[in-house]
Amino acid sequence: MRTGAAAGHTGHFHEALLHASDEELLAVVVPFLIGGVTEGEPTVVALGEQHAELVRAALPPEVVDRVGFHPGGDMYRRPASAIRAYRDMLADYTASGADQIRIVGELPTTELGTTWDWWSRYESAVNHSYDEFPLWSMCAYDTRTTAAHVLADVARTHPRTARPRDLHIPNADYVDPGRFLRRRVAFAPDPLELTPPTVDLKDPTTAETRAAIAQLNDGILPPRKLGDLQLAATEAVANGLTHGTPPVVVRCWADTTRIVITVTDRGGGPTDPFAGLQAAAHAPNGGFGLWLAHQLCDHVAMDHAADGFTLRLISGDPYQRINRPPDGKTGP
Amino acid sequence: MFEGMRQSGAVTDVRRLGPHDHVCWGFDDFAEFRSAALAFLEAGLGLGQRVCYVGEPSDGVYEALTGARPGAVQLLSVAAHYANGLDPREQVEVHAAATKEALAAGFTGLRVATDVTPLIRRSAQLDAFARYEHQADHLMATRPFSAMCAYNRTVLGSDVLTQLSIMHPLTTETAPYFRLHASSVPGCAAAISGELDLSNADLLDLALRRAEFRPTGGELVLDAADLTFIDRRRLAALADHARDLGATLVLRTNRSILHRLTQLLNWDNVRIDPTS
Repeated sequence: MRTGAAAGHTGHFHEALLHASDEELLAVVVPFLIGGVTEGEPTVVALGEQHAELVRAALPPEVVDRVGFHPGGDMYRRPASAIRAYRDMLADYTASGADQIRIVGELPTTELGTTWDWWSRYESAVNHSYDEFPLWSMCAYDTRTTAAHVLADVARTHPRTARPRDLHIPNADYVDPGRFLRRRVAFAPDPLELTPPTVDLKDPTTAETRAAIAQLNDGILPPRKLGDLQLAATEAVANGLTHGTPPVVVRCWADTTRIVITVTDRGGGPTDPFAGLQAAAHAPNGGFGLWLAHQLCDHVAMDHAADGFTLRLISGDPYQRINRPPDGKTGP
Repeated sequence: MFEGMRQSGAVTDVRRLGPHDHVCWGFDDFAEFRSAALAFLEAGLGLGQRVCYVGEPSDGVYEALTGARPGAVQLLSVAAHYANGLDPREQVEVHAAATKEALAAGFTGLRVATDVTPLIRRSAQLDAFARYEHQADHLMATRPFSAMCAYNRTVLGSDVLTQLSIMHPLTTETAPYFRLHASSVPGCAAAISGELDLSNADLLDLALRRAEFRPTGGELVLDAADLTFIDRRRLAALADHARDLGATLVLRTNRSILHRLTQLLNWDNVRIDPTS
């Protein structure tokens, strides 16, 4: 049986936890965790080190021992990896007979900047991706340090906000993941993209694409990451050639910190709004290849423009962007 | 280079081939083939092998060879040699017996050179011959039997040549970058090497069918030490093929890309084993 605010709810009970101080954070998290432990539910903390220590210190000793602490930074390296790891965890708990699982987590602050775009897709997608499990989750955001456009996305992607004194307030701005993920969001360019590409191939074979990346690498990425990027680019080009509309254009840029690759075709791109984030057994129209790319690169962005679909892969430093005003990012 | 070790990859000089080597030799004009066959068979004589040219006396290969001792050089007509209507396994038995005979006569093994082009005029013949090439390669991996299978590119076309080329460990052809052939690693049904992706999808399906694997112990074990790349769909094709044969796919390799891909995909009938 479900307990607490999620009693009677089926599936994922997904809440934002907005706080402007440690006290506010603890005022929500401590009762949440004590409640989970008291009910005998698997209760998990995936906060950053600083907040995890704060919570640990605030919990009674008999509760601390029964809370699972997962380093948040490990859990949140990539959206697709996080979905996979959490789904495995939730499946294990459910198989062991859990009636509810409680998780409080937060993204590393590095992910609330230029790479927030793919994490906003994560926050929306998990309403669906974890919905087969009896999960009550809280995602903590510090309103003092989180940008306004990020907080706006948090409100669009979390059905409720948890507040102290056991308040759980519906978010009026919440939108269904299918709708949120279908919005067209032109991604902010990496500064390298404003320079002439080092590699510019029209309708290349997948082997030519791999060879071009290997030649470009010249020690920028270690061999393992180079192999991962070659595999991701192969899947992207194969998708373009198989499901897209020609020509398929591959462009690559590099500096000492990263390789940036765009793969563009004239087609409409994947129709599945969850493409890339969750591996479906038989994902349609190249969804599985996109999911692999999301697992293998340090950042992946997709742009469904009127004249074609662009997939951008970054391996190495994923944080460099040309800043655009948030309003300028959202199209029709 | 060890005496007994097999070579694989691209080949340009047939004089360096050893007693177990099997090469697909594509040529554009017969003179080119003649000199390659001659060099290949002369090298065999140098290794103490019995050499056999399958063709016509007028080809100018047999005449040019001088054996150190009687019976060292043989000539067979293509029609007589492949008289069995090419049942792949029967034809391999013929070679196995001939190799045994050569050893019994005091030679170190058998080496054969043939222009196979006239045997591949219809698609059914192509299919049978590709199957035969794979079975013959297994014989060569284990017995001191070496062969040059020459194919006239201008007659057969590059598509047909490619289909035959990929069934050889050694080939003059550079595209399409993968090969399926016998492995000398114990426990491996075959070796798969090169790169597998969208560009050779149809060829992979053909090669797998023609290899006629017979998995033992519920596992189809492939020596993948030289498989430098495979994409998701081709891994799926290998796994599906194994599944159709009632087996789990096992790839023996230390390459991180294969470990990575299978770890991410987490398919239940695919396993990666490190090579020792």
